[in-house]
Amino acid sequence: MSAIQLTANGLALGASYALVALGFVLIVNATGAVNFAQGDLAVAGGFLTVALAGAMNLPGGVLLPIAMAAMAGFGVVFAYLAYFPLRRQPPATVFISTIALGIVLENGANGLFGAAPRLGPPLLPGGPVELSGLVLPRQSLAIVAVTCVAIAGLHLVLMHTQFGRRLRATAQDAEMARAVGIPVGVMIAWTFALATGLAGAAGMLLSNQFFVAPGDGTNLMLKAYIAVTIGGWGRVWGAVAGALIVAFFETIVAVLLSQSAAEMLLYLAVLGVLGLRPRGLFGETIGRRA
Amino acid sequence: MRLIQTNVAMIALAAAIVLVHPASIGPAMAQTATIRIPVLVPLTGPLALEGTSQRNGAVMALSNPPAGVRLEYEVLDTGAAPETAVNALERALARGGVSVIVAPIFGAQMLAMLPIAAERRVPLITISGTAQLTEMGNPYVFRFFPNDSVAKNAHALYVVEALGKKRPAVLFQTTAYGQSGRQHLAANFARLGATVVFEEGLDINLKDFLPALIKAKQASADALVLQLHAAPTALLLRQAASMGLSLPIVAGSAMHQPTTAALLQPAERKGVCAESASSPVSSVDPAVERWVAAYRREFGAEPDDFALTQYDGVRMAIDAAVQGARGPEEMRAALASRSFQGLAMAYKSDGVGNMAHDAIIMCYDDQGRPRIDRRYPRLG
Repeated sequence: MSAIQLTANGLALGASYALVALGFVLIVNATGAVNFAQGDLAVAGGFLTVALAGAMNLPGGVLLPIAMAAMAGFGVVFAYLAYFPLRRQPPATVFISTIALGIVLENGANGLFGAAPRLGPPLLPGGPVELSGLVLPRQSLAIVAVTCVAIAGLHLVLMHTQFGRRLRATAQDAEMARAVGIPVGVMIAWTFALATGLAGAAGMLLSNQFFVAPGDGTNLMLKAYIAVTIGGWGRVWGAVAGALIVAFFETIVAVLLSQSAAEMLLYLAVLGVLGLRPRGLFGETIGRRA
Repeated sequence: MRLIQTNVAMIALAAAIVLVHPASIGPAMAQTATIRIPVLVPLTGPLALEGTSQRNGAVMALSNPPAGVRLEYEVLDTGAAPETAVNALERALARGGVSVIVAPIFGAQMLAMLPIAAERRVPLITISGTAQLTEMGNPYVFRFFPNDSVAKNAHALYVVEALGKKRPAVLFQTTAYGQSGRQHLAANFARLGATVVFEEGLDINLKDFLPALIKAKQASADALVLQLHAAPTALLLRQAASMGLSLPIVAGSAMHQPTTAALLQPAERKGVCAESASSPVSSVDPAVERWVAAYRREFGAEPDDFALTQYDGVRMAIDAAVQGARGPEEMRAALASRSFQGLAMAYKSDGVGNMAHDAIIMCYDDQGRPRIDRRYPRLG
């Protein structure tokens, strides 16, 4: 019984990390730059839904697309602040600019909402679901479901639409894409919008399940970075697998050993992956790392 | 009386990690003494919630100076790291004229600041519970919150004597606060004849507490004892309620905070108890009730005992200034030798800087409302 509950919790945690990691991967692929504010963008999404839930009496299922759309719009603004003015500078410059904007976001949330953790709205109303004696948190199941839909939708858009082909072309070779008439700047702005929309979804889901506090972004970003490193730099499915592996350590390994031991083993496993498969479990799609 | 407030916090936050909060100058009277009290507290990072309460309590005391002293203060964010706190301390001292410093609740930051305070001979007043702070022979630290030898004594006494539990499981944070509390809990449980059947250190960023809860249950614990910060406490209690854990839970002082309780549904906090120095929102003392009302008006938030005890600490320093203490050495001598009746309790140094010696246990009733269940006076 405990094993199934643990697995459900682990999957929910991994799914949340995966949404953050996916946005991270999209931007890495499109720009070659690491967006270190991805965790803070998820936190911003969490606080946005806290504010929306306070202002509008709407169910979580309605708030989710609103939050994703609003965050996607903010993603474009973010791109024009953190990426476009510095796009011709070395990648480390963008890396620094995203850290700086992440700090602004964190302190902005602190100023606007205060330091206290906040509870976001549930995606689905109601208490835990009981199945054959098992008590499974409804929100955990919702997180897993939303993440599956988001991943499937992303896969569909990237692999089976003209828009997705243009995005991929931009990610693979921006100069060649520009030469064949693809508006590279617009595609990159769309990529930031998609990535930030996913962060918004992650933020909303996390804010109900695990609360949201201004300082949470750094830890989320670290988990996403590890997930991407394990899965393979720039690999969408690698990011998902990596996120689930991180969550596996935090739940299953933690119950078998201890939380501290699980944390140490996770980082040793990362070192092992880097030593044995430097390009991650699924290989890299790009060769640059920050 | 003239009050000048310059709120540059948000601009500074956007520009730098270090944050400067309102600078306030008290009554500008020609013959009054000027007392400078920088407020160095964590307003960002994992302890931002506790640090904000600390800041609010200090600011309430500093904003209402008595006749005879002029108060100057600034609020500096000590963030999440010891080095940030040290930088803030150096900045505050560099401006000169400091009489006493309100120092962070974050034990690791205090440990880094203590040698500098001793070297520069400036007293620090804090509400950090980390026991080690007053065990290092540093005469410049004054703690206005029950240290762990008091608070964890009350914590363990309640579990063993009031609840009659002899097989507690202890979950603690891996921070200095958590480690210090765990050490004192272990010693007190051993003294009281209880056996800790399971204990585990938990990272402050941990989100899933189910593994630790399952292991506590598997160890046949008869009570769950927590030494966690605010957000982890709320998260753990939520997950414990979700898994249907029926063990009595006695949390650390974080659980008395109204902001922590607000994260939980009444059913999730029902029956949960917590140790604390005081519980201002549960108090029936008219003076505390007036203070609570003023706090709500000023900050639009519910006060906790971090705010109240920090208020008392600063009021004691201001009282010392009114009585004639001026420079840091006079202030240190006054804090070390005098007693002071604050709103939460009476304060007097035990010779090593521990000023607070009372603790309470508060519990949430069936409707999830807090009430004081036990008082443990003069434990330290």
